[in-house]
Amino acid sequence: MSSSRGEGRKVTDLFRFHRQPQLQNPSLIVGFSEDAGKLAPKVIDYLNEKIKAESFCEIEPSEFFPLGGVAVENDIAQFPESKFYCGERKDLVIFKGSEPRFGRYQFLQTILDVAEQHCKIKELYTISGTISSVAHTTPRSILTVFNQPEFQKRLRGYGLENMNWEGWPALNSFLLWVAERRNIPGVSLWPVVPFYLAAVDDWEAQKRVLEFLDKRFGLGIDFSDINDDVAKQNEKMAELRTRSPEVDSYVQRLESNLTLTEEENERLAREVEEFLGGKD
Amino acid sequence: MGIRLYEEPKLKNPVLIASWPGIGNIGIIAVNYLRQMVNAREFGEIEPWDFFDPRRVLIEGGLLKELEFPSSKFYFQRTQNRDLIFFVGEQQPTETGTPYPGGRKVLEIANLVLDVALKFGCRRVYVSGAALAPIHHTARPRVWAVPNSESLVSEVRGYENTILMSDVEGRGGQGNITGLNGLLLGVARKRGLEAVCMLGEIPFYLQGLSMVYPEASKSVLEVLSKILGIEIDFSVLDKMVAQVDQGIGRLEAQFYEQAPPEMAERIRNWLESFKYKPTESRLITEEDQKWIKEHIDELFKRGGEEGDRPL
Repeated sequence: MSSSRGEGRKVTDLFRFHRQPQLQNPSLIVGFSEDAGKLAPKVIDYLNEKIKAESFCEIEPSEFFPLGGVAVENDIAQFPESKFYCGERKDLVIFKGSEPRFGRYQFLQTILDVAEQHCKIKELYTISGTISSVAHTTPRSILTVFNQPEFQKRLRGYGLENMNWEGWPALNSFLLWVAERRNIPGVSLWPVVPFYLAAVDDWEAQKRVLEFLDKRFGLGIDFSDINDDVAKQNEKMAELRTRSPEVDSYVQRLESNLTLTEEENERLAREVEEFLGGKD
Repeated sequence: MGIRLYEEPKLKNPVLIASWPGIGNIGIIAVNYLRQMVNAREFGEIEPWDFFDPRRVLIEGGLLKELEFPSSKFYFQRTQNRDLIFFVGEQQPTETGTPYPGGRKVLEIANLVLDVALKFGCRRVYVSGAALAPIHHTARPRVWAVPNSESLVSEVRGYENTILMSDVEGRGGQGNITGLNGLLLGVARKRGLEAVCMLGEIPFYLQGLSMVYPEASKSVLEVLSKILGIEIDFSVLDKMVAQVDQGIGRLEAQFYEQAPPEMAERIRNWLESFKYKPTESRLITEEDQKWIKEHIDELFKRGGEEGDRPL
């Protein structure tokens, strides 16, 4: 099955189903690949693994990405992927994709065409990390943006915090807006990621989002593996603080809600990235 | 994708006056000034989301309150002599994957603008933009008028301070109008509408400075007001012109101070040769233009970075 959109333009298949999923009143969870603390892609991958999800549909890249060649990152040739997944659970559809380089509105419409018309979703959840000047030792909060006040009321009691912001819109905000035009209730989850963990994994923030999803959907996730990752990262950070009094003083100041200079921010981020590297 | 009309005013043979941002924002300043002078009322818009990405979001108390896009709005006014429709686009759609205007979306938006014009019985369109010219910034800019049919040539020749492409030194009637301010001429022709593009002259050495150039907007407005039989109070625009003139004067002085003497002398001589003689301007070679533009840009930009930019 495939679909086309557009009048008076080249007819192009925008999405392609590999199989028809068996779903029942599902919610859609969306994450884009490029994210602070690798948060969204890691959460989606973790979730997909836990619910044994497999791809059933994908958005074709030609309308949304330049295809004059491939980018190579960390020795690996990259190619834009925008896939829908479902697994054992009939109430979850998961989308993981690259952010489109052009045709953003049409791309978001295509996500919701698949989700609404073919999967009959009832709610939308988007995930992306928001970088903040907080210490990694402080509990991670999840800031939220809702597109309907009724939905905001329904999610009270999950320990979510309200966001206030005026400025350049993220793709997830654009998606929420498009969903609202279709009367699909949606929320953007913005877990706070300490700025110096933005280039590595922030396991704690990932866990915080997964805990919310676990509670919301009754997934019964066994968190022992991610708890190990959190513990290991905290141990390493403690080791780094012992080795480097400078890093320790920066973190202490953040723990006391004090700000660092731009230069100190950069130095802390560099030290942490070098120390944690890709090992975590 | 479409047009939203808040009301459908009864208009008699209206003319459409349209513009989008471009070099020096010459056209859009002229059209907006005229629109405000005649107190035109907004009556519709082109829905933006198929053409533009949002540029601002407002989130309050965890609720998405507003997503703002660049606007593309229609206005109307009935004047003593003519009924007028204005179209003002805050941004031009860009070619897929590039920051430059072009592609399918540009053609779509041009057609939507003309859909509205035709719906209200419009048969004549005026568009406005910029003409990069080898003129001095103290000279009164001329208006290059480009009609979309042979039948308009004699009429255009009668406009004051206006020349056709064939009157422009060294052009031989040839040229290129980039973006929607030019494309609308062609689309209008295809759909049987008369159209004229009014290009206000801007000194070519200012093109890289991303500054407004209201002096040229005034030239365009002077021509438009005569055609439409509308008296315009230019006092606000004149203040803007004076401000920009002062800014350019400061940059010029700064340029002569900072430039190596040989370069400063070469530029000064060239600029002086054009002063007060815009219609008799001597031609310079393309190579000279390139050299002058590159060096003036570089130095004017340096001035701008030091906080001495006029606008």
